[in-house]
Amino acid sequence: MTSNNGSTNETVDILVIGAGASGGAASAWLSEAGFKVKCLEQGYWQDPSKYASASADYEFEMMTNWAPDPNVRQRDEDYPVNDSASPVTPVMFNGVGGSTILWTAHTPRFHPSDFRVKSLDGVADDWPISYEELEEFYDLNDEVMGCSGINGDPANPPRSPRQMPPLPLGKDGKKLISGFEKLGWHWWPSDSYVNSQRYGEGRDACNFCGHNHMGCYQRAKSSTDLTYWPRALRNGAVIETGARVHRITTDDSGRATGADYIDSKGNEQHQSARAVIMAANGIGTPRLLLNSTNDAHPDGLANSSGLVGKNLMFHPFAMIAGTFPQKMKTWQGPLGNIAMSQEFYETDKNRGFVRGYTFQFQRSLGPAWIAKGGFRKPIPWGEGHHELLEKRLGSTMGMAVIGEDLPELHNTVDLDPELTDSDGIPAPRITYTLSKNSRDQLDHAIENAKKALEAAGASDIYVDPMMRQSGWHLMGTARMGNDPAGSVVDKWGQSHDVDNLFIVDGSVFVTGAAVNPTPTIQALALRTADYIVANRQDLKG
Amino acid sequence: MTTYTHIDQTLLNSILDRLLPAIDELASAGQMNLSDEIVRLAAQQARFNALFTAAMNSFSERHPSFDSLDSEQQDDAIRSFEANNAELFDVLLSISYIVYYKDSRVHERIGWSGKSPQPDGNEMEPWDESVLENMRKREPFWRRTDV
Ligand SMILES: Cc1cc2nc3c(=O)[nH]c(=O)nc-3n(C[C@H](O)[C@H](O)[C@H](O)COP(=O)(O)OP(=O)(O)OC[C@H]3O[C@@H](n4cnc5c(N)ncnc54)[C@H](O)[C@@H]3O)c2cc1C
Repeated sequence: MTSNNGSTNETVDILVIGAGASGGAASAWLSEAGFKVKCLEQGYWQDPSKYASASADYEFEMMTNWAPDPNVRQRDEDYPVNDSASPVTPVMFNGVGGSTILWTAHTPRFHPSDFRVKSLDGVADDWPISYEELEEFYDLNDEVMGCSGINGDPANPPRSPRQMPPLPLGKDGKKLISGFEKLGWHWWPSDSYVNSQRYGEGRDACNFCGHNHMGCYQRAKSSTDLTYWPRALRNGAVIETGARVHRITTDDSGRATGADYIDSKGNEQHQSARAVIMAANGIGTPRLLLNSTNDAHPDGLANSSGLVGKNLMFHPFAMIAGTFPQKMKTWQGPLGNIAMSQEFYETDKNRGFVRGYTFQFQRSLGPAWIAKGGFRKPIPWGEGHHELLEKRLGSTMGMAVIGEDLPELHNTVDLDPELTDSDGIPAPRITYTLSKNSRDQLDHAIENAKKALEAAGASDIYVDPMMRQSGWHLMGTARMGNDPAGSVVDKWGQSHDVDNLFIVDGSVFVTGAAVNPTPTIQALALRTADYIVANRQDLKG
Repeated sequence: MTTYTHIDQTLLNSILDRLLPAIDELASAGQMNLSDEIVRLAAQQARFNALFTAAMNSFSERHPSFDSLDSEQQDDAIRSFEANNAELFDVLLSISYIVYYKDSRVHERIGWSGKSPQPDGNEMEPWDESVLENMRKREPFWRRTDV
């Protein structure tokens, strides 16, 4: 895939920073409406036929060159993240497609109650928009990304027909579900942006290789390099890859004028634009805004509220795994796209905490992964190793708990005073502690996960009370709201301070809900793009 | 990139013998001569290779006469390294497991096909609607915000 051209620096209407889930969606929509769009992306295009799942060394590649943690992967285009003051490690991918290159594509939606947590439960803040206002954009996103799933889930409002039937549950999925059925607890086949049939341009059905989390060779998993970007490029949008932005520039009146960046050859460049859209994710966006200081805004751009980089939310994530007596080839089929349970999603104050959690059912992988522990600690070396490996291989299943994290001011992204990326740009530093409410949620979930696993017939149960490598959902660091003193952007994603600066990634989340966030991120990005099309024709040259 | 020395590979094979002992007809991992492949593979990523090299150097510094210890003493030495150098030991263990479990002799013993996940993928039984019979009977229970 080529990027049209990329590196001419004439003024564009819209400059998008980051070519991931949200940048792809916004760019496609705006270019479709005739805006001249350019995207600066620090990473590069990926060639699915070179993904490591087809290599004999895939298990090594998974923990090195294709690891989700940028501090481990250490490609030139990655930036380091100082996570020493956080029990959760942020994970991501930097390239065209962004983190959707490595994501699992488990794609549930927020519930209506997620937008109203203050009114309903007296915590955090309500969103300035409702589920109903976002619904048409969820639908649109499902159509472009392609959703496998089935209507009728009693835990969620009815939704439009899914594009494809659900991915099959497999023997292993059915086994896990039998525990929920016995307990009378909710479960439902996951909505997944993984093709259960051919769908989209040149995109095959999933062939159940089990390794789409290291890039989908089959192009069955939807990533925006395969969905939104081809569309955007056809509309005339351009991407410049290997372009690392370090500052959003402004004029004397404080309006955004474009971005300073270092191109793939190491040269300093400026791209001018009539408007700038930040889509660098919940860590990359606050990092850039905080780095864009000048005399007029010494605390960073769009930061009169002081909330840029504050209220960082991950989803507190526990993993409970068990071993079944049956051999079920649990390495066959996508790792995390089986089914989910939302029995404990909505608040029940008798539980001693507010809000709730989702269980996402998980498969397991091959022998080295099992030996290395997978969801658990490594299988002990030496005596007894072989027996335990044989017991767990093909019969280990897990349940991931995705709990709702609420925003807290002391959970932050700021600029590290010493650490920099390879271009000398300050790296982000994460400070995060888990709240008591989140801990109580996880503990409740762990007890219930054990019950469900046991009801399904599992033994040898292992609990990781909070997975470290689980910072895949990056949210809240430039929240939306109606009050400029209490939020960074308005309900359309437009900065309160800078009227031609927009944010479309997970930074704008007010609360995190208890589901994977990307359909919501992309729906919000489409909604912002739609707003610009309808109301900001002044941004067209 | 760091290249490994012969002496260190001898040590590596001795460690491997204790990590992954013989089973059934299969020799222990050190006897299977996996160290060349371990060294090759570790070098595929600079960060990993640096940690692996550090692990081996640190191990040989701590236990210079590892080869002359009996099995029990060797296990104690590994355990002590594991307890005191968790990150480095994890790297050593990871590469040992990865290379061991990509060996066709091991595949044969554990009944693993040994194919990479792609391009062939796997077969799965088709989606079966009947599994939803019970859930379909359940009343909607998502929390309404309009009341
Ligand atoms: C392993 C893994 C599994 C996941 N599984 C799921 C899942 O099952 N379901 C789900 O909903 N979500 C999942 N996620 C999360 C999902 O991938 C993200 O929510 C989503 O991609 C975020 O979209 P984004 O546009 O905000 O950022 P990203 O997709 O991360 O894209 C940001 C882009 O900005 C670029 N960028 C950053 N800084 C700069 C700069 N200074 N200059 C130029 N470019 C820059 C980056 O290179 C990157 O390409 C997963 C993530 C990971 C890593």
